[in-house]
Amino acid sequence: MSNLQSSAPPESFFPNADDRDMVEGFARVVALSGGKAWAEPEPAQSCGGCHSAGLCSIGKQGKTSAHQLAKRFALPGDLGLAVGERVVVGVREDTLTKGALTAYGLPLLALLAGGIMGQEFGHSDGYAALGAAGGLAAGLLAARVVAGILSARGVLTPRFLRRAFEVPVDGTCHTEHG
Amino acid sequence: MEHYLLLIISAALVSNVVLMRFLGLCSFMGVTTRVDTAIGMGAATTFCITISAMIDWGVEKALLEPYELGYLRTVTFILVIAAAVQFTEAVVRKVSPAMFQMLGIYLPLITTNCAVLGVNLLLVEGKMNFIESTVFALASSLGYSLVMVLFAGLRERIALADVPRLFAGPPIGFITASLLALAFMGFSGMSTN
Repeated sequence: MSNLQSSAPPESFFPNADDRDMVEGFARVVALSGGKAWAEPEPAQSCGGCHSAGLCSIGKQGKTSAHQLAKRFALPGDLGLAVGERVVVGVREDTLTKGALTAYGLPLLALLAGGIMGQEFGHSDGYAALGAAGGLAAGLLAARVVAGILSARGVLTPRFLRRAFEVPVDGTCHTEHG
Repeated sequence: MEHYLLLIISAALVSNVVLMRFLGLCSFMGVTTRVDTAIGMGAATTFCITISAMIDWGVEKALLEPYELGYLRTVTFILVIAAAVQFTEAVVRKVSPAMFQMLGIYLPLITTNCAVLGVNLLLVEGKMNFIESTVFALASSLGYSLVMVLFAGLRERIALADVPRLFAGPPIGFITASLLALAFMGFSGMSTN
């Protein structure tokens, strides 16, 4: 638990009336400590899924404790949440775009700039490759700085929206689509 | 500069990796039910294609071509792609755990995405230099991301429409994809790589 407290990610907030267009997901409260409730997101289906889901690696990802610990985030402690409780959390729609641009866009831009500079000054593929590798390293460093700033502002942290209903034990929801 | 501009237009629009070359159709149909998942998948694929193209170019020039090991190309490229995906996953987790939480779920899907291998093999066919192959890979993957987001937007609208029961689900998805492919055929003849 001390590991959790030392990482200290930004705390989520109560839902704001102005927060529309949220991308919602489910999370489960796994611990209560330091006046906060710690939640882990429920594994999301990244693809549509198929009959071979049991054989592919997608269904098995994120199951290790290190993976799960990396995904933990804090919710305010005064919500009265209990361990094991299921909640609905959300991030703003533009958060994913901001995250993708920071994590992938910035390094790629720097990579391309470095490669072009290497080609222009060195006039050989070797220099271009060297420039691109340098650019990628610089871009990743810049991405880390920007991600740190966004995390400190709480932009990347999911917000608590509401309590979720428990899924029935048999997993059926009795709709037309099953 | 004009050469690179034509290369970008050609790779992203004229010879679009999904709608013209029919690569990456599995993720195209599977991950486009929502715009936000399409953005995440598109961005992760763009990053992985560009990184793997850089490495594959080096492997091709330093190993496969000089020692005439062309028959090992597909196996080698698959290995490089898997390594690139693992590298990307480690990088995103290191850069920001919060971002890994949002974007990490798409990364394992890329290892088995034929668009990544397809673009890398096209680079060898094209006999490009380093910077050309990097630009081509980046533009191709941006074209892939563009189509993913466009298609996801259309599917979100279709989900709200009153579609006849016979066409609901994948059938209307494929019909929409074919109409989108027809629209992209309008770019034909603008430039060729």
